[in-house]
Amino acid sequence: MPEIGISGDIIYTLLFISLYFEVFLLVSFLERRAERFRPQGGGNGAGALPRVAIVIPCFNEERTLASTIESVLALRYPRELLEAIVVDDGSTDGTLRVAKQYEGREGVRIFHKENGGKHTALNLALTETTADLIGCLDADSTVGPDALMRIVPVFDNKDVSAVTPGIHVKNPKTMLQHVQDAEYNLSVFNRFMLAALGSAFITPGPFSIFRTQTVRDLGGWRHGHSTEDMEMALRMQAGGHLIANAPSATVHTSTPRTLPELFRQRVRWTYGFLRNALDYRFMLGNRAYGNLGLMILPLALVSVGAGIYFFIHVLWYWLERLYDLILRIQITGAFPHPSLDLFYINTSALWFLVYIAIALILVLICTGSWIGTGKRMPPVGTPLFILFYSFLTPLWLGTAVFRALFKTGVEWR
Amino acid sequence: MENPIVGARRADWRSYAVALVITTAIFATALYASNYFNERRIAEIRTTQDNISIDILSLETQFDLLAEHSCRDISENSVLSKEIRPLAERLSYLETQRSVDESELLRLKRYYSLLQIKDLLLMKKVATKCSLKPVFILYFYSNEGDCKDCENQGYALTALSEKYPQLRIYSFDYNLDISALQTLLSINDVENKLPALSINDKMYYGFRNIQDIEKVLPQLATLDKAASSTRKSAR
Repeated sequence: MPEIGISGDIIYTLLFISLYFEVFLLVSFLERRAERFRPQGGGNGAGALPRVAIVIPCFNEERTLASTIESVLALRYPRELLEAIVVDDGSTDGTLRVAKQYEGREGVRIFHKENGGKHTALNLALTETTADLIGCLDADSTVGPDALMRIVPVFDNKDVSAVTPGIHVKNPKTMLQHVQDAEYNLSVFNRFMLAALGSAFITPGPFSIFRTQTVRDLGGWRHGHSTEDMEMALRMQAGGHLIANAPSATVHTSTPRTLPELFRQRVRWTYGFLRNALDYRFMLGNRAYGNLGLMILPLALVSVGAGIYFFIHVLWYWLERLYDLILRIQITGAFPHPSLDLFYINTSALWFLVYIAIALILVLICTGSWIGTGKRMPPVGTPLFILFYSFLTPLWLGTAVFRALFKTGVEWR
Repeated sequence: MENPIVGARRADWRSYAVALVITTAIFATALYASNYFNERRIAEIRTTQDNISIDILSLETQFDLLAEHSCRDISENSVLSKEIRPLAERLSYLETQRSVDESELLRLKRYYSLLQIKDLLLMKKVATKCSLKPVFILYFYSNEGDCKDCENQGYALTALSEKYPQLRIYSFDYNLDISALQTLLSINDVENKLPALSINDKMYYGFRNIQDIEKVLPQLATLDKAASSTRKSAR
């Protein structure tokens, strides 16, 4: 790739920032590993167990809802302290019928309402419950039997207002799902480290648990540009609440099977991030918000721009090469044979740095796998993730940026 | 790894600094490694150029001794080493590398141009004395972004030299600041309308494809036949 000139300088700068972020996360991880990951504030689970409400907001989820409810009912937690609140948000398929099958089961409550969005379903449950803790479990996800018992003790720390789990891909089947499996392992690491840095800015839909009173004090969930989980986390951060992570609390979530589905989902996530970042821009570079304001949010924004820039740069480079090749064939009448001369092996610093960045990503994925599942080997989709994902990501990054700029809004599905 | 974890809101200045030091060290190592390999490339080119220089010096000496030797000892191929042809490509490649010492690269390019001029002059002398008929093209280009057809002309000439291995193509960067080159430009009345080709002492400006060149340089056909007959007689 051309490395000289302004474009070369920008590439090197962005590469430096990307590498710096990866190194920063690893350094922070190793520093905390030295402290043996002691939970701060004495979260030993010794206190009396609180009452917990798990809200399952659903819209047209007839295929997956039953397994979601079953997984909640299978949680190892005193039955009298646990309630499952299913809120059908105006589904047009058989979701309500599936939900009704559980009516009358101990601790299960079913609500039906006009369609108003996920945040309205959550807020309905918020008004109906008297539990101490309230959690959300998306109706396309299932929770591990020990997940709640791994999360609840974290609330012994009075400063903690929310705890996020370790999210994994549910039964990956397609190649794309295996690739996402690797990505989710990376996310396990990232979520873990962001919580450790006091910088979590997402409380994901699959099984994030909150102090009910905190959510009420904050005014409940908001639309949050179709990413209410991100908006809530940012609002909690703005209000000085701590968000913890319990990676061993495993949740499995259904992931898009096809590229168009994945594209739609990621456009929504990125769009939500950009719009929420704009809403909470007062945090950017603000020392009062610690690592989140100084490092995490600014770098997350830069990474969106960097992804798009890298993609355009590489695409342009290869288009130029293709054009040159066609021209050359036209001029010489022959296909140029590639040189086997060792002299032309690319030993530019750029490539060395790209290799190092890839190696670091591999380390982060392995670490995420270890944190989340105890396995040290990366998932099988990792090579594909490393090879192709960086070429896919810019597609939804670019679309999301465009939509965020023109405030077009996004659809859930 | 069972324990969940949460950090208080603070800025980890120490971690920022440690990460900065490590990232800088990674960058410095990558740049050093790249620089090391580029240095080796430059050293390789320098060695090649020195070898060519020795070849030329040797032939000059041989030429001075011509009175005592017959022309049989000097053939067309003895001057321009086979190594000189890839040199231009290698130098072009180095120009795209970020961590190459620009002044060193410029020095190598100047040296390369001088070697070509020396070779050209010597070849003309040998041709006169020994009644040889070398076929050569002088190609003037610019890589300062002001010559959109220069790259294409380069492709055409490369293909031509592959088709006719005995064809001598001397390529010169029009903007290179060497007095010998300036003199060559002046002798050939080369105008700044690049790409420019000097074929049989006549200047051609603008892009010329392979067929155009073959048309204005009929000796190429002879050269091709000559190459075939040489191969035949060698059997």
